[in-house]
Amino acid sequence: MMPALATGGGYSLPVFPYHRPAEVRGEKRRHPVAIVGGGLSGLTAACDLASRDIPVVLLDEDDTVGVRGASSRGIVYAQKTLEIFDRLGIYERIAEKGVTWSVGRVLADDDVLYAFDTARGSLSKQPPFINLQQFYIEWFLVDRLNELPKAELRWKNRVSAIALAKDHATLTVETPDGTYALEAEWVIDASGIASTIRQQLGAPMAAALGEDRWCISDVRFQRTLPAERWTWAKAHFNDGRAVWQHPMADGVWRLDYQMGANADPQQIASPEIVKDRLRRHLGETEVEIVWVGPYGYRTQLMESFRQGRVFFIGDAAHVMNPFGARGGNSGVQDAENIAWKLAAVLSGAADERLLETYNEERRAAAEHNIKVTGRTIRFLAPRSPFEHRLRDAVLDLARRYDFARALVDTGRLSVAYDYGTSALTTNGGTAFPNLAITHPDGTPGALSDLLRGPGARFLVLCFPSTAALDLPATSVRAFACNAAIGSLPVIRSTGLAALGREGEVMVIRPDQHLAARLVRPDATAVLAAIDRACGGKARR
Amino acid sequence: MKTSINISDGDAFYEALLAAAEGLSADESEAFLLRLVLLLANQVGDQQALLDAISAARAMVNVKRD
Repeated sequence: MMPALATGGGYSLPVFPYHRPAEVRGEKRRHPVAIVGGGLSGLTAACDLASRDIPVVLLDEDDTVGVRGASSRGIVYAQKTLEIFDRLGIYERIAEKGVTWSVGRVLADDDVLYAFDTARGSLSKQPPFINLQQFYIEWFLVDRLNELPKAELRWKNRVSAIALAKDHATLTVETPDGTYALEAEWVIDASGIASTIRQQLGAPMAAALGEDRWCISDVRFQRTLPAERWTWAKAHFNDGRAVWQHPMADGVWRLDYQMGANADPQQIASPEIVKDRLRRHLGETEVEIVWVGPYGYRTQLMESFRQGRVFFIGDAAHVMNPFGARGGNSGVQDAENIAWKLAAVLSGAADERLLETYNEERRAAAEHNIKVTGRTIRFLAPRSPFEHRLRDAVLDLARRYDFARALVDTGRLSVAYDYGTSALTTNGGTAFPNLAITHPDGTPGALSDLLRGPGARFLVLCFPSTAALDLPATSVRAFACNAAIGSLPVIRSTGLAALGREGEVMVIRPDQHLAARLVRPDATAVLAAIDRACGGKARR
Repeated sequence: MKTSINISDGDAFYEALLAAAEGLSADESEAFLLRLVLLLANQVGDQQALLDAISAARAMVNVKRD
């Protein structure tokens, strides 16, 4: 990764207080979960675990959000991520601060090849996308964590070493008060692309650097543009190369320009060249440059996202090319996946076998994302004259014929990964939309409300004309959908009718993915599906 | 992938193909063929038939794959 240049910005970031850690004061304790790294994935994991009433300590080397220098990093948050943030209690702030959008346009020079509206057919209470500078999301997560009694945030705590034992890990942590050792039963490494822990453990990882170069310019300007995602497969104002145009909060736009192969990062990010590029794109308008960052492509994928007591999430586990907002969004979903599994194990609802499925499920998702983003690159940066002419034939046809528009690949936007037939699912795996529902007491809400609370609870949704099931109440919450079944509480939603048929019972996992879809099951069959979704025998 | 004739009038098809490409330079012929391939692929639609056709055509071009 090339260095990011910070130029101005006009953002003021919070500074969080450092407290002398208990271990430095001589207290000895073993934490159930320690998280290394307070970026998007690490903070989400901490918030998810603490929301499930699991004590968690998060260590971050810095004392603010974002990378030093106000780099904005990720900006596009997809529906599944927004649903997770709804459950964690920060969605309203994101919706208020960010730019909600659903329309995208794909262009070639001056022609709109096609437009799409991702809101069409959406059943979720959350919109398909909200754009917001990543550090704001991190900030909201920190604020939320400060309200959760089970979360402890340790700023200016830099992890410099790790030692693994059979039933715990010991981290060496450097602070302004000196170095201390922190013991944890489980460690989540969310320390990003250059993870020290990953390197120290010598965990195998495939890595590749691409030749393609891009240059991000986050800017404010006077012209009013629509709050839409515009992508040019090629643009005459960028020498025939690709361009991205996206709005975000505070009136800032992200303009991302494809550069020539192996272009010099210093040169493409120099102020005169950046200004000239912006003038060609936007015309004569006053432009305030918030941030400029040249970058090159990089792909990284760990062989296993688990090393003993350590789980790797987000960029520490996988790095993909930044198309379709798949990096940040998959990091958030990694966090949710490991959080509910650790919560299930630590609260005694499942045994440790469940944890191995974190790697199975989330590595498959990362592999998929790397494949998808790799295809986009091949479309945007053809490798030979033939590939270039084939690509141009697609663009040419797309101007006139609908079918060819589907072949124009300027990034496939992030959607929740379908786990399909994983070790945990029974005819399930897809993400269940966060439906707007009416609760049994008549109050309006969302499906994710039912998943809140301590531990890792499963939902059992019983559609009309199923038998009343006799289920233990401890880790399972059963509801009748739209019509009374026995004494079950009834939730109502038009979306439910669209998703389930008469006679069906759906088991929803704590991460709102479908664990099982069963037809007229008895209680034994439902409990068997929950056992399977807990990686073996669930404890009740 | 179909391997017996499925075109109703093969001779007329071939003639039309020649006529369309007549007088085109090598670059223009390639541009024509690429567009034709994509249009035809969408007529076929069937994913497996398309993949089989790609392999069958590739196998007949005498360059070893690495």
